[in-house]
Amino acid sequence: MKRKPLLMVFALILGAALFFPLQSAFAEKPIVIGCPLSTAFVYGWDAQRAITLAVEEINGKGGVNVGGEKTPFKVEVIDTRDLEPGVPVSEALLVVEKLILEKNADFIMGGPVRSEAALAAMDLLSKYKEVSILTTGVLTPKYHARVAANYDKYKYCFRITGEAKWMVGGEIIPCLLEIGKEYGLNRLFIMIQDVAHARAGGGIIAKVMAKKGWHVIGQPEVYPTGSSDFSMGLLKARREKADVILIWMDMPQTSILLKQWYDMKIAALPFGSIIAAAEQPGFWKATEGKGEYCLANVVNAGNAPSNATPWTMKFVEAYKKRWGLEPEGYGTSSSYMAPYVLKEAIERAGSLDSEKVVAALEKTDMVGVYGRIRFDPKSHQVIPSLDPEKGAVGTIFQWQAGRRVVVFPKSIAMGKIKLPPWMRK
Amino acid sequence: MEIFIYGFINSISLALIALGFALVYGISRIPNFAHGALYVVCGFITWSFVRSLELNYPLSIILAMISTGIIGGLIYLFILIRVRGMAISEIIASYAIGLAILEGLRWRGFKGMTYTLPTFKEGSLMLAGTPVDYHRLIVVGVGVCIVAFLWIFTHHTKVGLGLRAMAQDERAALMLGIDSDRMAVVAMGFGSMLAGLAAVLLLPLGNIVVEAGYNVLLLAIAVCIVGGLGSWVGAVMAAFLIGFAQILTVVYIGPHFQMVVALLAIILTLILRPSGLFGRQKELEERV
Repeated sequence: MKRKPLLMVFALILGAALFFPLQSAFAEKPIVIGCPLSTAFVYGWDAQRAITLAVEEINGKGGVNVGGEKTPFKVEVIDTRDLEPGVPVSEALLVVEKLILEKNADFIMGGPVRSEAALAAMDLLSKYKEVSILTTGVLTPKYHARVAANYDKYKYCFRITGEAKWMVGGEIIPCLLEIGKEYGLNRLFIMIQDVAHARAGGGIIAKVMAKKGWHVIGQPEVYPTGSSDFSMGLLKARREKADVILIWMDMPQTSILLKQWYDMKIAALPFGSIIAAAEQPGFWKATEGKGEYCLANVVNAGNAPSNATPWTMKFVEAYKKRWGLEPEGYGTSSSYMAPYVLKEAIERAGSLDSEKVVAALEKTDMVGVYGRIRFDPKSHQVIPSLDPEKGAVGTIFQWQAGRRVVVFPKSIAMGKIKLPPWMRK
Repeated sequence: MEIFIYGFINSISLALIALGFALVYGISRIPNFAHGALYVVCGFITWSFVRSLELNYPLSIILAMISTGIIGGLIYLFILIRVRGMAISEIIASYAIGLAILEGLRWRGFKGMTYTLPTFKEGSLMLAGTPVDYHRLIVVGVGVCIVAFLWIFTHHTKVGLGLRAMAQDERAALMLGIDSDRMAVVAMGFGSMLAGLAAVLLLPLGNIVVEAGYNVLLLAIAVCIVGGLGSWVGAVMAAFLIGFAQILTVVYIGPHFQMVVALLAIILTLILRPSGLFGRQKELEERV
């Protein structure tokens, strides 16, 4: 009689031991997307949210068809902290390696976010033959130039978001020239953050605008990451009678800059080539409307409401429903598109094999949230355009009465650029 | 004129940031490395009162400062009191507390640029041809008042005199019946409230971000080292030295080097005059 309970316990343990391994063996192994993102910053958390939203939608429709078998995506995010001041690039590299080795990521998506970290991570991706799609941050043209220069080594690296060269030459400069023509402005003052893409971008804009006949005031003012006082720079802009203040900074403190600009009533239009704070929907409330008239470039359409493609507003609404606010930073719509592009490539490849997926990604041609999405087969950079039917289209908006109104390019514009009352002559 | 006006504003801001740190060290000899965290905490508490509980702004500020003072006092009562007198342990313990607070805030989702406080008064005026907003003028006014208040408090009130007695000679103060632990709690609470005051004055000019905690700590340390650890008069003088040096650097060299000024000031002070401008740690100089 005493043996009976003991036997029952043994039977239960045996049953559990047999049942659980069998259960896990039968469970479908998800496709792991490893996301190295700087999650404390908008370019990190917006990408995380957008990737999560896309993956939920894809999984909700049955997942990815890999050679006839439906498999779900699984997102693994690790904070790289690469946008934080003083955090070395090696931190981001450790995160990428951890995602590959410990989390068994099949693909890398999102970041690293900082250009310096992403460039350093390319060798790691090449070493592990890990296909990666950059979706946020990383504006440096060096990224896709390296792929083109050494294709065999770096062919696993793709970028689905815009890059500085096109952004400057194709969008920012034409937009500045348009403003100059419309309002008779031609004195440019440049304020940039001390990071690679901003230094490069600010320098190029200064050179090109000078060639285009604008008067560029002095050298770009360089601010260290984390700066919280811009008063002396703004006073210089005022003293030198600047018409436009070009800002290229990806730190949240840029909202301070705009508050100071408003308080000092500087008679120059703030133009954010990259301006993290002003990109976000919460900016208006955070600055109590002091950021009105600020222009902000958000790299890809869909990061502010527009009708670039039939999918654009659907995405904006879906994001709003899932996260309670409109798409936030310049990496949102591109991060949302990346899982869809990857899904399609895997389905066409019929496999998760890196070589096959690379070949399939190179053949991508779909109309997404921000226009037609194709990769340059040599550099793996998404092909840009001012027309959403021809390529990935960008967006420059202006804050007007609490709304982000798209003003450039004309093909998707929802309104016209306005000057602050203290600037109107 | 721009340099003078904004140099003065910057100096007062630095003095406000550093006074709490200088006061705690001057009285209890505790280097409060949680100073930056308390600054940020007070900002977030005020924000919560104003934005979430929708309390009256001045009331929110008073409540937030009191809360920060209580947090500072509790940090001393429950943690720092156990390591009192062991300098390295005090630094490690207070820095760890600060780190835990700041990273805890980040972990709880206090990130981004959406946490802001309203300015006390909107608008600006022209001061000798230089635009200055009213809020900055209020910062200067309050800063000057605080320095005056501190002097009166430490010279003409019983608690203030007790604090000074502690700062001058803790053993002698004990013999005269002054409870050193109680005074240390008061100093820590008062120092934390000063960190809080700096926060509610300066944060409306920008936004409340966790990273500010690290910057504030660094600036407070720089000011106190240059001024002389333990001397709040020295801290005020050093704030003016560093404040003007920073503005001159921005104007004549470039904003990129602004932060270098504080770090360079620390290095130069430690090489040339280790006890700082008004420091009383003569033994340091003797060793050098």
